[in-house]
Amino acid sequence: MSLINDIEPLKQDGIAALYAAADLPALEQTKGAWIGPQGKFTALMKQLGTLSKEEKPAAGKAINAAKIELESALAARRDELELKAALPKEPTDFTLPGRRRTLGKLHPLTQVTEDIVRCFRKIGFAVADGPESEDEYHCFDALNTPADHPARDAQDTFYLGTAARPLLRTHTSSVQIRVMKSQPPPIRIIVPGRVYRRDNADATHNPTFHQIEGLYVDKHVTVGDLKGTVEFVFKQLLGDDVKLRFRPHYFSYTEPSFEIDFSNALVKKLGKDWLEIAGCGMVHPQVFENVGYDPEVWTGWAFGFGIERIAMLRYGITDIRLFYENDARFLRQF
Amino acid sequence: MKITLNWLRQYVDFDGSPVELAERLTMLGLEVEGVQKVAGDFDGVVVGQVLSREKVAGSDKLSVNRVADGRGERTIICGAQNHQPGDKVAVILPGFALPLKPGEKEPFVIQERKVFGVVSQGMMCSNKELGLGEDADGIIILPAEANVGQTFAAHLGRTGGDVIFDLEITPNRPDWNSVIGIAREISAVTGNPLKLPEIKLPDAAGHVDEIVAVRVEDAELCPRYTARVIRGVKVGPSPDWLRAALEKVGLRSINNVVDVTNFVMLESGQPLHAFDFHLIAKAASGKPTIVVRPAQEGERFTTLDNQERVLTAQNLLIADGGKGIALAGVMGGANTGIADDTRDVLIESAYFSSVNIRRTSKSLGLRSDSAYRFERGADIGICDWASRRAAQLILETAGGQLVGGVVDTCPQPPEPKALSVRQEKVQQLLGIEISRSEIERMLGSLGLMVARVPQPLDGTMADAPPISVRVPSFRVDLKRDVDLIEEVARLFGVDKIPSTPPRGAIGMNAYDFVHDQLAEARRLLAGLGLNEAQGQTLIDDAKAKLAVIPAAIVPLANPLSSDMNVLRPSLLPGLLDSLQHNLSRKSGDVALFEVGRVFTLVNGHSKEERRIAIALTGRRAATFWSGAERDAKFNVSDLKGMLEEFLEQFGLRGVVYSRRAESTPLFLESATVSLGGKLPLGELGQLLPVLVKKYDLRDAVFLAELNLDTLLARRNPARSFKPLPQFPAIGRDVAMLVPDATTHETVLAAVKQARPANLEGAELFDIFRGKGVPDGQKSMAYAFTYRAADRTLTDAEVNTAHEKVIEQLEKEVGATMRAG
Repeated sequence: MSLINDIEPLKQDGIAALYAAADLPALEQTKGAWIGPQGKFTALMKQLGTLSKEEKPAAGKAINAAKIELESALAARRDELELKAALPKEPTDFTLPGRRRTLGKLHPLTQVTEDIVRCFRKIGFAVADGPESEDEYHCFDALNTPADHPARDAQDTFYLGTAARPLLRTHTSSVQIRVMKSQPPPIRIIVPGRVYRRDNADATHNPTFHQIEGLYVDKHVTVGDLKGTVEFVFKQLLGDDVKLRFRPHYFSYTEPSFEIDFSNALVKKLGKDWLEIAGCGMVHPQVFENVGYDPEVWTGWAFGFGIERIAMLRYGITDIRLFYENDARFLRQF
Repeated sequence: MKITLNWLRQYVDFDGSPVELAERLTMLGLEVEGVQKVAGDFDGVVVGQVLSREKVAGSDKLSVNRVADGRGERTIICGAQNHQPGDKVAVILPGFALPLKPGEKEPFVIQERKVFGVVSQGMMCSNKELGLGEDADGIIILPAEANVGQTFAAHLGRTGGDVIFDLEITPNRPDWNSVIGIAREISAVTGNPLKLPEIKLPDAAGHVDEIVAVRVEDAELCPRYTARVIRGVKVGPSPDWLRAALEKVGLRSINNVVDVTNFVMLESGQPLHAFDFHLIAKAASGKPTIVVRPAQEGERFTTLDNQERVLTAQNLLIADGGKGIALAGVMGGANTGIADDTRDVLIESAYFSSVNIRRTSKSLGLRSDSAYRFERGADIGICDWASRRAAQLILETAGGQLVGGVVDTCPQPPEPKALSVRQEKVQQLLGIEISRSEIERMLGSLGLMVARVPQPLDGTMADAPPISVRVPSFRVDLKRDVDLIEEVARLFGVDKIPSTPPRGAIGMNAYDFVHDQLAEARRLLAGLGLNEAQGQTLIDDAKAKLAVIPAAIVPLANPLSSDMNVLRPSLLPGLLDSLQHNLSRKSGDVALFEVGRVFTLVNGHSKEERRIAIALTGRRAATFWSGAERDAKFNVSDLKGMLEEFLEQFGLRGVVYSRRAESTPLFLESATVSLGGKLPLGELGQLLPVLVKKYDLRDAVFLAELNLDTLLARRNPARSFKPLPQFPAIGRDVAMLVPDATTHETVLAAVKQARPANLEGAELFDIFRGKGVPDGQKSMAYAFTYRAADRTLTDAEVNTAHEKVIEQLEKEVGATMRAG
């Protein structure tokens, strides 16, 4: 009964030989040497015919089982060696910089404007717009600032040589008039946009800059409403720790008028108690009369502030001119 | 405007600290922009007396002194050698600072300290240490009569410390341009009474109208003119109190008479002018006559600042019979000013129309404290008061005798105007509960005269008559009920008005949707790897001319500088400036876009249009460390690809690109972009090399600009689902030789003409010139895809269709198919 006793040692040797193969060609060779047509194990199987009728079933069964084992050992080793063969010769340096697809960045003024717009839209404001070249009527007269009014001193104006809209608007408030003249109350709008003042460029001035204007006209609108909305928006924009202060002031198109100061950790860091951030007030009845609203029925408030100023505070930018130079190293920071 | 605490306190009491006062004023709308303590005024410096002087053991120079300071005795170690027991000295006590020396940032604070084992309790000061002179040799030895214990400031006869407030006065409150006006506000908020100076003029002989006449030719421009005369004054330096009062608030002391007019202006807000009476020419009547008249066109007049001014009929002039003697309300004349030898003075106290003063001041570029006050609206009611106040102070400081009476062209100024406001309107606008009596009290505290009305029997608000007030002439800003409501808000305290959470109508505006579309465009362009730029709207006309013809440029009528003298007609010049800025900072790889407005002149009007522009230069991709393409530069295909992707995503179809035959002032080679070849959208191209050089750029620059308004009008962003293909596609590749001038568009047109069945797409995948391609020709290779929606196509079907394509290409384009 030597044959049946030879099966197990031969199988063990075969499996060992398969696992000893160092690469795929060696494995193929080993496979041929054991289970190929001339292989050692194949040779054993060929001897099966020499066995007696009684011995055959048991031996056949044992040989088949051994062959299956050999084949699965072969498959397992092949998987191992294929994996090894697939690995690059040099291991990848995952610390190397990747091939970047750079996304463009939105301008910081755009980002801040969008944030402001989002805050207002949450509480029902729609965005409105108007021309940047304006006329005296929309920019000044209808806003209760006739020619020769000292309030015009603060807003040195650029004039164009054109007939219909002969100046560049000095504030977005001109859009208040255009909107009120084109739709009946109630009104709830914000107006972001470019405005122009005849100031020489320096760290805090650029002849072109951006403002955002808010206007709310309805029945029974109060100073309390103005305060509540402004507080909501500035808390959203500057954080919950922000404190606001309303101070009586003067604008020709609101009465009463206020300036808004804010205070937070940043302001304290700048060594100040308060920083002025916006102007506001209750729409002047004269303005309502100018646009054909009845000031006995409708009241409202308006406010406005500079977008650059918010962006400068938010990001710690100290020179307004950076916004208009478009230095890629600047733009990519936000 | 500057104002001092000591001056204010002459008219109203205030208990709190200067900082508290600043806070109160700020919250009243009188913003305090600065609080400055002045003079340090020798704080903590007292007159002392040396009682004994001994040597300090172990030191050659130092002495240990017992010094009386009026309260007790102290020990002071001193290095000076010039003092003896009995000498009166200036002693600074520990904890106080020496005056700041030029260049010092922190004041030096005297502390108790141990010297050679002895505690020194203060310091005896030299002139130099107190900032009184350069003399540092030894300490100050005061005269024997100095009072020990007296403050050093008092010993010198100087006032004590003061505080200067720098106030921002809003243009609606001219009454705040005066110490009394601000004192009135403090009086209103504290309830402390306003103490106006009492004016008592001596009984005077004669009457001024016997010696001077006043004739106002335009009573609208000069509703009131008063004149007073003082004879025999002695012009000279002002007394200390007067000089100090003016200098602390930034005015220069000139002489006692002029200083008094300035003092009264600051005190009351009423600008005054003093003339040398004898320099006013006599009229035919023999009396000097003041004529208030418009200047003649081209009349020349030299103002006090010795500038000759050329006047127009718009300028109001104070004149005598012949010459001008003052530019009304703006500045006096050089010919009649107060000089050292002036004996008789005429005091002018008048009221001029604000608009006229403002125009004159603006057109002549001549600002003055007087013009500043008149143009904001002076107080017609105060002219005579201010004149009498000035007379009183001139008599006090410069002597002389007052001539009796006054010439006053408007002895009865207009009645105070009446205003009324309903209590419920106050409550409604402010959102507060406030009683009628409280409103009346507040308005009364501001100097308004509140009319007494009988209380209604049932006390309901609706039946009550409105609160009626008479507005004094100094409150020119109070014109309607809402102005009174503001006064209530100020005195009530804006911080006490409760905030109400956002509520009310939902806003609507047609632009709201446009705003989102602009944001969408920006997001798409940023997604393409472009950084968003914001350029200047105001640019140099030379640069504007690169983009449009000169006639289309909108110029500024009053530019600040030549590099910002027109409105941008295109975004491209601004983007070029930005490229130049980046290059000059050594970053040569720049990809920018801008969304903004441009302005062009159309029929004399400025036309605004929204645009999108792109500028590319330098390397296409971020730095990488491997690969042949890593240093590839942007070329026109990058720009075209961005436009194609953007336009498709933004919802525009049928966009046509047509090459321009010629170069332009901006582009070497360029194409127009249009919808269907008809509706212009914009342009793209490569910047002229001469401009690349001019802008100091390094690599080729590619620019595109599109009309965003047109894109918004013509976009179709609506999307609808198309079922995904169920059956396989069959591909056919074609490589063909075509004449060099053949465009992709002509190839596609030929394919379209062939109308091949089931053609899904044709994609160009190679263009080749060189080996194997004859001169004057190029090889173009396309991949055609055929697919049917309802079945799998057979090879035969596809071949039939594809044959038609090939025939058409051979016929229309002159293509020769290449084998394989």
